[in-house]
This record gives sequence, structure tokens and C-alpha cells, in this order.
Amino acid sequence: MKILVCLKQVPHKDARLELAPDGKWIADANIKFEINDYDNYALEEALRAKDKDAATEVVVVTVGPDRVQQSLRTALGMGADRAVQVWEDGLAGADSLAIAKTIAAVAKTEKCDLVLMGLMSDDTNYSLTGPMLAALLGVPHATGIVSAKLDGGQVEVERELEGGALEVVKLPLPCLLTAQTGMNEVRYASLKGIMQAKKKPLDKKSLADLGLSAGALAPKVKIEKIYTPPKGAGAEILSGSKDEVAQKFVGKVKELGLL
Amino acid sequence: MAKTLVVAEVQKGALRESTLELVTLARKLGGELASVVIGSGVGGVAEDLAKRGGGKVLVADDGSLANYNLDGWTRAIAKAIEAEKPELILISNTPIGWDVAGALAAKLDCGIASDVIRIEPDGGELVFVRRMFNAKFDARLRVSGAPRIATVQPGANEPYSGSESGQVSKLDGVGGDGRTKFVEIRVAPAGGHDLTKAEIIVSGGRGLQKPENFEAVLKPLVEALGAQMGASRPVVDAGWLPHEYQVGSSGQIVSPKLYVAVGISGAIQHLVGMKNSNFIIAINKDADAPIFEVADVGIVGDLFEVVPALVAAVKTAKG
Repeated sequence: MKILVCLKQVPHKDARLELAPDGKWIADANIKFEINDYDNYALEEALRAKDKDAATEVVVVTVGPDRVQQSLRTALGMGADRAVQVWEDGLAGADSLAIAKTIAAVAKTEKCDLVLMGLMSDDTNYSLTGPMLAALLGVPHATGIVSAKLDGGQVEVERELEGGALEVVKLPLPCLLTAQTGMNEVRYASLKGIMQAKKKPLDKKSLADLGLSAGALAPKVKIEKIYTPPKGAGAEILSGSKDEVAQKFVGKVKELGLL
Repeated sequence: MAKTLVVAEVQKGALRESTLELVTLARKLGGELASVVIGSGVGGVAEDLAKRGGGKVLVADDGSLANYNLDGWTRAIAKAIEAEKPELILISNTPIGWDVAGALAAKLDCGIASDVIRIEPDGGELVFVRRMFNAKFDARLRVSGAPRIATVQPGANEPYSGSESGQVSKLDGVGGDGRTKFVEIRVAPAGGHDLTKAEIIVSGGRGLQKPENFEAVLKPLVEALGAQMGASRPVVDAGWLPHEYQVGSSGQIVSPKLYVAVGISGAIQHLVGMKNSNFIIAINKDADAPIFEVADVGIVGDLFEVVPALVAAVKTAKG
């Protein structure tokens, strides 16, 4: 069995995000990056399939500039077998469909039984690439899964709905699944894993390598501007020393008749 | 806007409120309105939508559409698009909406803006406004070409409340086999930790840094206030607390008299679960955290210093 895991590198959860001068993205030159949290769960699910059956091959793919190689090495350190990076400058500003088309070209050459990725990314929060990729590959998909049971040529998954309800769906392989956070317990790369990762293959491909061109992937969706949301009335901020603030807190709770 | 197609959603046999929110958006943009209702035995829902939303209501009614399935829904919406040739397709960003919309956009090779909260006409174009970076920033997107799709965040717009007289007609050639098979809906057994009736909830987030701090730092405040403990999703995802503690769209929806959010930045999914609380106090070290937008009172500071001071002050006040 061969599993393709699509990863995205996003700003670190604790990175202090500032807007870029052109107002079209964040200033990302000097911040830390990490693997998108949702994608970690997808990768873990693939590695668990490999734990059960050593013959399973796990290939990780991402679209991004050279800084993403660090995240790919992390994935290799966790246990993935190979990594593919696709990048050229023409992909800057690519929309979800362009990214999906790019990954589809990789997936077609890899001929996978299963494609796994996160439900959404923590930067744009679009949650579009997965279903788009599935449609481009002509395979069925299920989004936001919290469990997956592989059984021969099919997989039974639980999709998370609203209010804690779950929808159970069966899909034939090949198919694509997007992971909800919390679906499993994500492993850390071991020291041994990190050492081995240095020797694992990491292929960098251009669009031409995949028979694509930046022109053919021109974005239909453009970010005109991102900005800090206009402050509403907002909260009344309590000021003073921590003891003064605590007294004001007590005052508020008393006003509510709860103390 | 020449024509908008609204993809309706049926929930427990009735029209889902978020569908009428799409009607509000479509009517604001002007132009013709069409909608499609997908399901089995949903003629009554379509009649309801015709009266409450108006326009042309297409019914994709087939036994195979009794439960959501990707292929059935994709085919039905594609048929409706073929019949109506809309310039804009509106879908609620629900578990059905986000499952089907991206695939549909790829099949049509068209642009899509997801989880939109507003649509603003600008000259002949449309600007789609949505959150990004887990609600830290807002973004304005331009989507070129037609048709284009927008999925819309439920609750972001008022449901349309007019009285209309739309026309219902049947959409043919829908239904048939799908590759994904619906098995069942499982409702998680109710946990022993019911937050929906709590008067005071003190919830902790990732800012507490490690599971032991829920016991050491948060619990004293919970006990001093006679509150119940809640948590944000990342805390539950990390296994620090069981799912029954989770407040948010995928956990419990709460509305206590007082909600204290400690070390919670305020991702949309959490805000949905607690924004209707009577009074909200947020404690966070980041003054720009979105939680302060819904809070009545904020304390900007290090929770490891602030919370023990609150505990001491509450205990003193109780005497």
C-alpha cells in the first residue's frame, strides 16, 4: 500500500504575526514555521498504517519555498519514507485550485492507494485543497475525519459533524481523506529517526518537471488585502497592578450577583 | 449580479436556518434568485423555501439522496447550475458544504471563496470578506470569472425574514449510485460533564501550557467561584482533558451567567460555543487576541500571575 500525505508549512502557533507592508500577506521573513497542525494528524494516521504493515510506503509532498524542506525532514524523521517538494517562484500567489492541480500532478505519478491531508490550514483556513485534489484525481473523499479503519479495498471513516455528532461513511480505495485535529496522538521524531531522515530522499520538482506551467495555473482567487479586523466595542480592559485588577474582577463578579 | 443559486440544506426534515442567511446575501446583491433543495421527500421543504426565500426553487428529490453523499450532491448541484447558469453559487460552510464545495469548484474549474462572512459588490466585481489565521486577520478576496462559488459561515448573516411567493419545480436526472456510502450518524454518548446548565464556567486554553496547570492554576479559580471547568479544542485535542470539557462548535454550546476564558485566543470554533454567555471575562497575554472582541471585560497579562491573584481576591471577598 502506498499513502501520499500532503503537508503545508504554516507560521508557528506562537509566532507573532505582523502584516506585510503591501497588506496582502503577513511579514514572513523572520518568523518560525512548522507543519500545519491538521496535517500532523494525517501524517500520524499514515504512519500508523505503516506500523501495522511495514510494506506500506508513506510519501510526503508539499508545495512551498525551500524553508519547507525543514518540515519535510521532520516528517521523514517521524517515519515517512520519501519527500517531494514542488516549488518555483511562479507559484507565489497560487490559489487553492492551482495548488491542488500541482499536487494532482505529483499524485498521478505516485499512483497512491490513499491520499491524506489536514481538513484545513492554520494560515488561510480555506479547507479547499483536499476536496479539489480528490475531484482532480477522480477519487472520492471524506473531510474532517476523526477515525479511519482500513479494510481490504475500502476504508470506513467517522466524519465530525456539528455538536459532537459523527457521520460514518465507507469509501472504496483509492480515496482522499482530510483529518480533523485530535483524531490520534501525534508522535515526535525520535533522535534515531532524525538521523535516518538525513539520508532519506527529498526530491525538489519544478512545474516543468510535472508538465505544468505557472501560466496555466494563474489564480482565479486573489487576496486583495488582509488587515486586523476593525475593533468593535471590544472588552473593557482592567488596568492596574495585579491586585488592583483582581479587586476589579471581584467587583464585576459581585455586580453579576455571583459572589 | 445577474443570477445567484442558493444551495439549500435540509436538517432533520426542515430547512436549515443557514439557507435563509444565504437568501439574505443573495437578495442584497440583487438580480435573479434560484435555489436547489436536495434530499428525499423534500417537496415540503422546497415549498417552505419558496414562501420564505422566493425565486425559483428546484427540487432534487430522490431516494438515493436521503442522506448526504458526495456524488449525489455534486451531481444535483451541477444539474442545477446547468439549468440556471448562475454567476454566483452560495453554499453554507457546514460539514456538507465544505465537503462538496471544493470538489465542485475543481470540476467546474471555477474560483471559490470559502467561509465567507460578507460579500461586497465593487464595480462589476464581487469582494468576498472572510477571516484568516484563525480570526486574527480579515481578508478581502477577489474571485475572477463566472460562475464562482462562495461558502458562507453560518450565523454571519441574518436569516431572510420576508414573505415571498417563489415557484417550485422538479430537477430531473438526479440521484443514482455514489462511491461513498453513508452508514449511520453516531451521536456521542452524553458525558458526565454537562456545561450547558452551569451558572459560571471557567475555561482554559493552550495558554496554560501543560495539563498539570489545569489542576494547579485553573482549578483553584474554578473552585473559588463555584464554577465548572471548560476547555478549548486544542486542550482536548492534546488529550489534556476529555472531550466532554470542550466548549465550541464541535463541543458544548454554553450560555452561563459568567464565562471566564483563561489563556484562550478565541478561534471561531470556540467563540461559536460561548459568545452567547451573559458576561464574558477574558484573560490573555496577547492584547490583540480575538477573544477580547467578544469579551465584556479583559485582563491583559500573564495568566500565571493574574489567576492566583484572582483566586486570593475572590477568597478574601467570600470571607
